[in-house]
Amino acid sequence: MSEADVVKAIKANHPDLVVSAEVLRSKRISAVVKREGFIEVAKTLRDDLGFKYPVSGGAIDFPKEEKMQMMYYLMKPDSKFMLIYKVDLPRDDLKLPSLTQVWEAMSFHEREAHEMFGIEFEGHNNMIPLLLPPDWRGGHPLRKDFKEEGSEE
Amino acid sequence: MTEPVIVPDIMRMSWGPQHPMSGQTRILLDIDGEKVHRIIADLGFTHRGIEKILENRTFLQGIIPVERMVMADTPNIGLGYVTAIEEALGIEVPERANWIRSMICEMARINSHLYAFGLQAESTGYFPAVFLWTTVDRTIILRLFEELTGARWSLNFFMPGGVHKDLPKGFEEKVIEGVEYLRRRFEEYWVAMVENATFELRCDNVGVLKPEDAIRLGATGPVLRGSGIPIDVRKDEPYAAYGDLDFEVITESACDSMARTKVRYREIGQSLNIMEQVANEIPSGPIRTNVPLFARAKAAEVLSRVESSRGELGVHLFTDGGMNPYRVKIHSPTLRNMYVFERLAELDEILVADIPVLINSIDPWYLDSDR
Repeated sequence: MSEADVVKAIKANHPDLVVSAEVLRSKRISAVVKREGFIEVAKTLRDDLGFKYPVSGGAIDFPKEEKMQMMYYLMKPDSKFMLIYKVDLPRDDLKLPSLTQVWEAMSFHEREAHEMFGIEFEGHNNMIPLLLPPDWRGGHPLRKDFKEEGSEE
Repeated sequence: MTEPVIVPDIMRMSWGPQHPMSGQTRILLDIDGEKVHRIIADLGFTHRGIEKILENRTFLQGIIPVERMVMADTPNIGLGYVTAIEEALGIEVPERANWIRSMICEMARINSHLYAFGLQAESTGYFPAVFLWTTVDRTIILRLFEELTGARWSLNFFMPGGVHKDLPKGFEEKVIEGVEYLRRRFEEYWVAMVENATFELRCDNVGVLKPEDAIRLGATGPVLRGSGIPIDVRKDEPYAAYGDLDFEVITESACDSMARTKVRYREIGQSLNIMEQVANEIPSGPIRTNVPLFARAKAAEVLSRVESSRGELGVHLFTDGGMNPYRVKIHSPTLRNMYVFERLAELDEILVADIPVLINSIDPWYLDSDR
């Protein structure tokens, strides 16, 4: 199964839930899905397409486009393909069902995205700060509009 | 008569962040007598916001803060960032530079694994001298680093397009000399330490991580290979000169702390082979292509992966046409392995006395997980 076949299979399984899927370069695949079908597509990826190995997760802020993107990195252990599984969230409604119900190892990465970007993960069982201090009140540091306390800008 | 229900009398114990066997983190243990019911890792004591710092540095300036993630392993971390920049800017690297990179990365791997091995021996409690032996042997590597780059720890030697300097005259012979000395030492370590009955008693069957759990929980590096799964970025997606070099991916089938230690130990042997190969067969040629100091990348998204000593390190770089990265997401190997460490109490029976052995078999580097 080549990278292009994986892309085809993702699109064929959920034609109405997948926004786009493409091969970035060899062994790199990127797929953007709609928020409604986020868990459903993830289960197909794990059970039917073999992306059993969770690698990481993180978010990126696009204030100009009024959106944030949550990204999960998944790997297929036999062919070593890396899939970047993305979902767009409007900046005024940062809610997402937690992917820990599919890959429990995403727990730490979701906790990090929660404190750094303010994304709410529904159904996550332990949403406490991972890296920031428990009494942190300074906002979400990795957002593009974050201002450090006392900075002159 | 019905059996009485026994409710375990759980006590929560705080371990670290000043404990010598925890490193710069706090571990919470729910214990009932000697048995550990739950492990909670409280990370973040060394969080410095490296991902945010990188957004405010030019591509070249970013190499310095990113290498601070793992001091024992700076070349591997730096290489992950540098290869991401090269892919985003479309820079070619000369062959000789790739070979030098591979050699330095393997030297750093030996340095880091020796440190881990010394700590593992120390954590069993019986061999305080071994940590000193490995520290002395590490100076062989550090002296070579010093001669090549001028620094012993934070090398900052790789830059987009190649490496800073060519190998000094007679460096290859010194590498061979060091390799031969370290090979002799490792035979002694194996007899004195790895096959030692006391060491085996402390490490065998401690923290068993089955292969399917290792995949499900996202373990990486020696932790994953200690569970018998041959995943290594150096083989899967050869970067630098690894495509031309001859080495094996080390796996062990026992899945316990001993297996993870043996994987590290045998990987040192492979790294020594690679060092020798590079010293003997390095091609001649230029060591750097010229890159503008303040390069601008067009809008792009690049994910580079390297195998650091602790496992896979990914750098996901977004550029928007400016002189700085738009966002850098770093996949830290220790963060992934710490999740496995948290879950181990549910997968296997663990006693409080096993915790130091277990945590050093994971080989965490908290500055890496906290970033």
